[in-house]
Amino acid sequence: MIKYIIAALLLGGVAGYLNANWSSIVSSVWVSDYLLNASLMLLLFVMGVAFAMDRDSFSKIRRTGLKILIVPLAIALGTILGGVVSALILGINVVATAAVSAGYGWYTLTGPLVGQIFGAKWGALGFAANFLRELFTILTVSLMVRFDKYAPTASGGATAMDTTLPIIVRYCGSDALITAFSSGFILSVIAPFTIMAIASLA
Amino acid sequence: MKGCWARKQMNFALLVVPLVAGMLLGYFLREKKKANLGKVTFGIILVLIFSLGFSIGSNSELLNSLPEVGLSAVVIATLAIVFSVILVKVGRRTAGLE
Repeated sequence: MIKYIIAALLLGGVAGYLNANWSSIVSSVWVSDYLLNASLMLLLFVMGVAFAMDRDSFSKIRRTGLKILIVPLAIALGTILGGVVSALILGINVVATAAVSAGYGWYTLTGPLVGQIFGAKWGALGFAANFLRELFTILTVSLMVRFDKYAPTASGGATAMDTTLPIIVRYCGSDALITAFSSGFILSVIAPFTIMAIASLA
Repeated sequence: MKGCWARKQMNFALLVVPLVAGMLLGYFLREKKKANLGKVTFGIILVLIFSLGFSIGSNSELLNSLPEVGLSAVVIATLAIVFSVILVKVGRRTAGLE
């Protein structure tokens, strides 16, 4: 299954690159915006159907209750900790690196926001580091799920509510839908605030 | 980059609406026999991943930044993932989340 995913990713990457740099057969917005959003919305719909058709799903949610919030909280702490440790290893600015990591994978937010606060070079790093988080999540989901049922959700961070959600559900089952979506949602909401809060420490 | 912005900016409602609509439909279809949508879903996932790849490939700003900041970015992304996964596992055990 994962080889088809990698093939689709590579094919898309090459097509997007060629289209942007040579011919521009289609306006890239059609694929990277409309097609992406349409497929995402369709998948969310189908995942919703599959979830609700399973009689156990709702009772499972009820049993879990507010404990579900532990997941995004642990991800936020782990991510920032990961940022701090990276800065110490690489010997770069700890506060700025923590702010970069606090995008939780939402690179289109982190790049511009961190860039505005710490300058263009940090913006590029915020962009790349968070983009790689999304990419690594897609590529390693089949390995992660063997370690822990919620490991792909943790890895996806903020992207667990959109781009990586379909693959997470594919590998972890319908059970993971609400946990992954709510965790990604909460991380997306707090991302701009945590970035700015960390930046204020500088 | 505008395309990716729209993904989140398309505001959360556009993600929540299809999800809730799907749940409502699924709830009323409960008595029906389960249709196997696995293959169709996987097809749409491939379309999603393809368009994700496309948006990366056509994003020259992102591609140009990779050689300069790539190594740091790999370290940050990897450690952010590793620590998140570990803390979630520990947190789940501590709280007894199934």
